[in-house]
Amino acid sequence: MEFTREKVLLKAENINLKYGENHILRDINLEIQNITRPNLNQGQVISLIGRSGIGKTQLFKILSGLNKPTTGKVLIGEDLHPVQAGEVGIIPQNYILFNHRSIFSNLKLGLDNCEKPHTEEEKKTIIHEHAKLFDLEQHLNKYPQQLSGGQRQRVSIIQQVLTGNKFLLFDEPFSGLDALMIDKVTDLLLKVSLLHEHNTLIIVSHDIESCLAISDTAWIIANQQGQQGATITEMIDLVHLGLAWRSDIRLDKQFIELVANMKYKL
Amino acid sequence: MKKIFTPLQIVDSKTVVTLVVVQLAIALGFWQILGGELLPTPTKVLSAIFATVVSPSFFDDFFASLGLTLQGMSISLFIALVVSYMSLVPVFKPLADFMVKCRYLTLTGLIFVFTLYTHDGHQLKISLLIFGIVPFFVTSFLSVIAAINTQEYELCKTLRMSNWRTLLEVVIIGKLDQVLEVLRQNFAIAWMMITMVEGLSMSEGGLGTMLIKSSKYINMANVFAVLFIIFMIGVLFDYLLGKARHWLFPYTKINVR
Ligand SMILES: Nc1ncnc2c1ncn2[C@@H]1O[C@H](COP(=O)(O)OP(=O)(O)OP(=O)(O)O)[C@@H](O)[C@H]1O
Ligand SMILES: [Mg+2]
Repeated sequence: MEFTREKVLLKAENINLKYGENHILRDINLEIQNITRPNLNQGQVISLIGRSGIGKTQLFKILSGLNKPTTGKVLIGEDLHPVQAGEVGIIPQNYILFNHRSIFSNLKLGLDNCEKPHTEEEKKTIIHEHAKLFDLEQHLNKYPQQLSGGQRQRVSIIQQVLTGNKFLLFDEPFSGLDALMIDKVTDLLLKVSLLHEHNTLIIVSHDIESCLAISDTAWIIANQQGQQGATITEMIDLVHLGLAWRSDIRLDKQFIELVANMKYKL
Repeated sequence: MKKIFTPLQIVDSKTVVTLVVVQLAIALGFWQILGGELLPTPTKVLSAIFATVVSPSFFDDFFASLGLTLQGMSISLFIALVVSYMSLVPVFKPLADFMVKCRYLTLTGLIFVFTLYTHDGHQLKISLLIFGIVPFFVTSFLSVIAAINTQEYELCKTLRMSNWRTLLEVVIIGKLDQVLEVLRQNFAIAWMMITMVEGLSMSEGGLGTMLIKSSKYINMANVFAVLFIIFMIGVLFDYLLGKARHWLFPYTKINVR
């Protein structure tokens, strides 16, 4: 499979997070590169996998610029400047939306602050296009509390996509879903990654199989023996292993073995 | 039958109405039997209510009280909203916190000061009312604000809103329906205070004045009649404000189970 890894899109340098004496994250370094494949417009999908309570949500907040790490920095963009809230889209664990606004109005807030100014008419068209693509067209006039969890997740994703952020962070997008829904979310995430070549999805999760099945790169966050604080213990280059970008991947023997092995590394 | 004695049971509306009617009848029955000299019986109170309502000065008194309450409530609401919203701006936080603590100041000692600084009875009543209600409003609003999920602020940040825009979106627009709820909850306090302040300056009349006059002549049936009228108007407003909230903010009607 032909591909090249190019420019660095996001970089985390020596991230440490402490709450008082409590060391949560230790020396986290990672780099996300733009992967290009000939004749294909596809973004990157990256996973951060770790046990429950290890500090994934904390790292998620640091990467999105919402929280500051105790030491270290997150750099982003062409010029690798320090990340600021608003440059990275987030889809939190519980798909938070504005309950006092209709779905349409929630989505419009995404467009209102995007880099490219749109007229009201254009906004309407864009929202309807996206709603159609993600199967939400008949729900535009409803309020968030009237939607199912899966539908809210989709609204949350589109809202962030519409702000024009190329980086999208997902906190546990598969949690609490049945096998069929996981497939649906997987398709959904792939759809988002295909929207733009620079789109980069970072998935934070403890679901090893679902993450690896759609990622091109995965990082394992775990505790090391005798040391406080979780750090990155392993990087898996699924492209290199020939396990990326394949829809039948879950049936592949090599993949099944990889997933089985990972369990012991968390 | 067993259902109505079991906690967390949902009963149909017919049962609810029956329960209310039966309990009301029992209460009235007891009252009628126990009533006599000191405690006027329901039938006496009922005729007193009728006499009060048809008396020529009733509507003047009624509108005097209502006008005063509405005026006091609107001004208080405005002050309380400004103080509460501004409490999110660090410089104004101490002021808001102080106002909350003012609930513990009793008005009685301050009436003299207010009398000195106001020009007429109306002003005195309004300012006492405002002084009495604002701390309760602010307290309620601040607890509404404190209950906001921090993730809503984070969502605004990721949508690139400025801090002022975030305040507008999450706190002001997002909790506008709660303003009506707070108003409803505190209307009771305002309504209770109105009768008190009206006693201080009786020249304008009002339900409070009526109450005090009836007590003075130990006309218990009249006192109960006025109390009942005050009670019913309060309940009516409670209901109207609740309805207004559902009507103005349809999303508050959505049942989340
Ligand atoms: N404000 C805080 N103060 C102190 N410790 C905290 C704070 N917030 C989180 N922690 C701790 O940080 C650790 C990591 O929490 P985090 O929410 O990131 O876990 P997680 O990996 O996302 O777990 P899950 O998969 O269950 O969502 C936990 O042990 C938690 O107790
Ligand atoms: Mg988490």
